[in-house]
Amino acid sequence: MRHEDAWTRLPDLLDDRDDPALLAHVQICADCQRQLFLLARIDRLLRDRTAALGSRHPRMRLRSRPVLAAAAAIVAALAALLALAASQPAPAHALTFHTGSGEAVGQAVMGHSDARNVSVALSAQHLPIGRGKVFVLWAGDNARSSMQVGHFMVDQNGGCRVRFNLPADHTWGHFWITRPGAPSAIIART
Amino acid sequence: MKAQPEKRSTSGSAQVSARTGDAELLRAVAAGSEPAFAELRSRYRPAVGRVCAGVGVSEREDCEQEVFARVWRKAALFDPARGSAAAWLLTLARRTVLNLQASRRRTPPPTNDEPEPDPVDPAEVEAFWLEAALERLSERERAVIELAYVRDLSEQAIASRLRVPLGSVKSWKRRGLNRLASMLGEESP
Repeated sequence: MRHEDAWTRLPDLLDDRDDPALLAHVQICADCQRQLFLLARIDRLLRDRTAALGSRHPRMRLRSRPVLAAAAAIVAALAALLALAASQPAPAHALTFHTGSGEAVGQAVMGHSDARNVSVALSAQHLPIGRGKVFVLWAGDNARSSMQVGHFMVDQNGGCRVRFNLPADHTWGHFWITRPGAPSAIIART
Repeated sequence: MKAQPEKRSTSGSAQVSARTGDAELLRAVAAGSEPAFAELRSRYRPAVGRVCAGVGVSEREDCEQEVFARVWRKAALFDPARGSAAAWLLTLARRTVLNLQASRRRTPPPTNDEPEPDPVDPAEVEAFWLEAALERLSERERAVIELAYVRDLSEQAIASRLRVPLGSVKSWKRRGLNRLASMLGEESP
C-alpha cells in the first residue's frame, strides 16, 4: 500500500474496520503511527464533546459503537514505543492469560488512569503468529457485558507490551484475546 | 458593543488562512493584523460563546465582545512558552466572565485581570480547542463529522441525509479527521 493511500485511510481504523494492508503499512511507518495516535485523541475529544452536548441536550443520541476501537488500533501500532514500567502506578491487580492448553502467554495489569478511565497494561509473550501478528483484546465485566478493547500487534516472538484505557464505570474482571474477525475463537483468556 | 479593533500604528500584514496556527494568529494580532484578529475571532467564537453562557443569556453577546476586545488589547501578553494559545484564550474568557459576574453583583472584580499561564483543566482546554479546530474545517467536512459523532449516523445515513454519494461522505470524513489530527499535532493544547 502506498503511503499516501494509507495516510488518507487512517481514519477508517477509528471505525474498527479491519484492513490488514493498512495495518501492515502502519506497523512500519512512523509518520502513520503518529497520525493514528493523534486521530485517536481526536476521536476521544469528539466523543467527549458529544457526551457533553448530550448532557445539555438529553434527546441527543450518543454513539453506541464499540468504544476505544480507534485507540486500540493506535496503541497496537505504537506497541513498540510504549514503555509500561515508567508510568505505571501501583496496580490494583494482575490477571494472567492462559491458552486452552494451559500455557501462560501474558498478563493484564489493571491500574488507575484518571477519573473516567482505568488502564490495562497488556504484556504478552509467545502468542501464536502463524495466522498473523494482529490480535484483539476484549474485556468483560461482572454484569456479563463485554467490549472490544482494541487491536494490538505482536513481534516475531508473539510478544508485545501495550496499554489501553477502559471506562471506569464498569468493573472489568476478565479479558480474552482473539484474532480480528473471529470473536468466538478465543486464543487466550484470563 | 462591537469588538472592532482599534487602529494601531502597525497595520499588520500577516497572511492568514484556516491553516495558520492559533499561536501564529495571536502573534499577528499582537502586531496589529486585523485579518488575523478576524480569523481568530471566527475560529474561537463558538467556544468563547460557550464559556460566556455562564453570564446568562442577556449578557452573553456583550461577554463575547468583551473577550475579543481583550484579545485584541492583550495579545502581546501571550507567551507560547507558558502554555498553548487555546489555554490562554480560555483563561482570558473565564476571567472576563468572572469580571462580568462580579460587576453584576456590584463586588470588586479580581484585581489581576491578566490571563495566567495554565490555570485551567487540560481536558477543558482540549474541548475549547476542539471547538475552534472544527471551525477550521470546510463546511462539508464539519457537517459530516458532526453528523457522525453527535447524531451517531452511519456514513450511509449521512449520505442519504445530505443527498450526496457515499464516497463523498467517506472522503470528507477522512479528510476532516485527518486535518483535525494534523492540527492537534501542530499545536497540542
